[in-house]
Amino acid sequence: MIPALAHIGDSTAVRRGRTRSLARRTADAIGSAISEVLENDRVASLPGLMQGLDPRMKLVSIVLLAVVASFVHSIPMLLALVAATMLLAAASHVSVGSFSRKVWASAGFFGLLLSAPALTAWITPGPVVVTLGPLSITGPGLVVATRLLLRVATGAGFGLLVVWTTRWTDLLRALSAMGLPDLVVATLAMTQKQIVSLLRTVQNMHLARESRMLSSGSARQNRGWVVERMAFVARRSMKTADDVYDAMLARGFSGAMPSLIDLKATGRDGVWLLATVAACTLVLLLDRMVFPL
Amino acid sequence: MHIPDGYLGPQTYVVLDAAIIPLWAIAGSRVKKALRTKQVPLLALAAAFSFVIMMFNVPVVGGSTGHAVGAVLIAILLGPWAAAIAVSIALVIQALVFGDGGITAIGANCINMAIIMPFVGFYLYRLVAGDRPGSGRRIAAAGIAAYVAMVVASIAAGVEFGIQPLIAHTAAGQALYAPYPLSVAVPTMAIEHLLFFGWVEAFVTMGIVAVLARQDSALLDMKPAAKPLRWLWAGLGLLVMLTPIGVLAPGTAWGEWGAGELKSMLGYVPEGLGRLGGAWTSAIPDYAPGFVRDPLVGYLVAAIVGAALVIAITWLLGRVLARKDPESSSAAPPADTP
Repeated sequence: MIPALAHIGDSTAVRRGRTRSLARRTADAIGSAISEVLENDRVASLPGLMQGLDPRMKLVSIVLLAVVASFVHSIPMLLALVAATMLLAAASHVSVGSFSRKVWASAGFFGLLLSAPALTAWITPGPVVVTLGPLSITGPGLVVATRLLLRVATGAGFGLLVVWTTRWTDLLRALSAMGLPDLVVATLAMTQKQIVSLLRTVQNMHLARESRMLSSGSARQNRGWVVERMAFVARRSMKTADDVYDAMLARGFSGAMPSLIDLKATGRDGVWLLATVAACTLVLLLDRMVFPL
Repeated sequence: MHIPDGYLGPQTYVVLDAAIIPLWAIAGSRVKKALRTKQVPLLALAAAFSFVIMMFNVPVVGGSTGHAVGAVLIAILLGPWAAAIAVSIALVIQALVFGDGGITAIGANCINMAIIMPFVGFYLYRLVAGDRPGSGRRIAAAGIAAYVAMVVASIAAGVEFGIQPLIAHTAAGQALYAPYPLSVAVPTMAIEHLLFFGWVEAFVTMGIVAVLARQDSALLDMKPAAKPLRWLWAGLGLLVMLTPIGVLAPGTAWGEWGAGELKSMLGYVPEGLGRLGGAWTSAIPDYAPGFVRDPLVGYLVAAIVGAALVIAITWLLGRVLARKDPESSSAAPPADTP
């Protein structure tokens, strides 16, 4: 499930005092996903620190930071990395509140849910800190769960920085410049466009059903309708693929893919990359020497 | 099943990220040969479909909903290699555009949902449906394939989580990544998919195949298997040979304790469990055939016997479905193109 949709809740949702139907809930969720794509593009156009970087350098540096985060074991250094994601968000004109909400509402919430049993003596034996019978919380359990939660939040934070500060087209250009075959890049580009197009179709289907129905319908009716609509989308996808291919042929497509690479790294990008490498080295040194396990 | 960053340590995600690259290369080469210049729009639309199908909320029970992955359905429609690429692209876009699934865990997520699911599902579908299935057999085969593929993929994810405490821990034994051992992670993942998500996947796949069989059956023409089922047999053989690894994991799987183990843990054996625990004596208790002394060899023998039984039952099921389905004998011959 897409994190943006997680807040929609999988059980019967009640909003503004009345129960929303399945069709309305799904249409709202899809609307959120489409809005998210549009909002990503808006934030990616702002004149912030991360937005001004060459997308190749940005991608390499963020992947490097995410990998280093996976090697860091001490809680103070993981906290420092979480703080670093927020500082980078602030420097990129991304609201720290929205950024933190997004990280903690999706990755953080599920991280908390999944790490909670690790708090207990059942999974992590050790000196008991809070006595709760067979589910007593242990000191080592607290460390294990906190470490997992912070690591997940750090990874999600770095991932979100790429997502929010890079236009999809720039990301594709970066991937192309980094050696990804043009065919794959072209497929990724077309997929993103088709996802938005199909999402709009599916959203309209649900809104149309919502407007036609006087009640929410039984689960059985809804199941039948959902599956029938899914089959429609499958047929529509295959038909659109044929149509797009015909259009490509009509425009003289012969299988050759135009290169998307027209990127130029500046001195600023070099400084950024060097600073990232230095920061990663420092973080690992501090983690191993100042906060050894 | 989307694994975020932080749950898998470098020892795991580096291996899985490295493993997915040659698989993508092979898939790309197979699909290029089969689809030629049409591959870009077809794969793009299949990937978009894979993404969108995950957004349909399917009502289940008690007002709750679930969603399907659709990997087996795409494998049935386009073949397993094309499905591997299409689902991988959907997963990469989910990670890079929507932040769903980790960047370092892309390899793990693609192996679980874009490789294991479509391949297990496709070959099981072929095995149960046969070469010229009628619509009833085809729908049943799609449901069985989707259910089993979903459960197998979830077990793979459970193994990836479960090996973390074994391979990455402090000197004191504290886990550095996902903290749950194999005995917790595998049953947890398997049970929730056996009881819930597997059924959603099966229901959706069966439903779509049923509608397509009625409205546009050409889409369901059988895709040729790569050297009919050769890869399935090779993979199955490899897995069987690797089963003795299971003996290395100490302890009993969570929730699978015997009366003796429960007595040592709780101090007593629950009355009902004590009464019913011995009601059935299995032919090969604890995967240790009585006639084999070496536990590793015994485990291997048990795996061979188990796999042979599953294959025999599946084959018989396919035969029964074929007899019940009068359309099987009159269905069109398989298409040449994937």
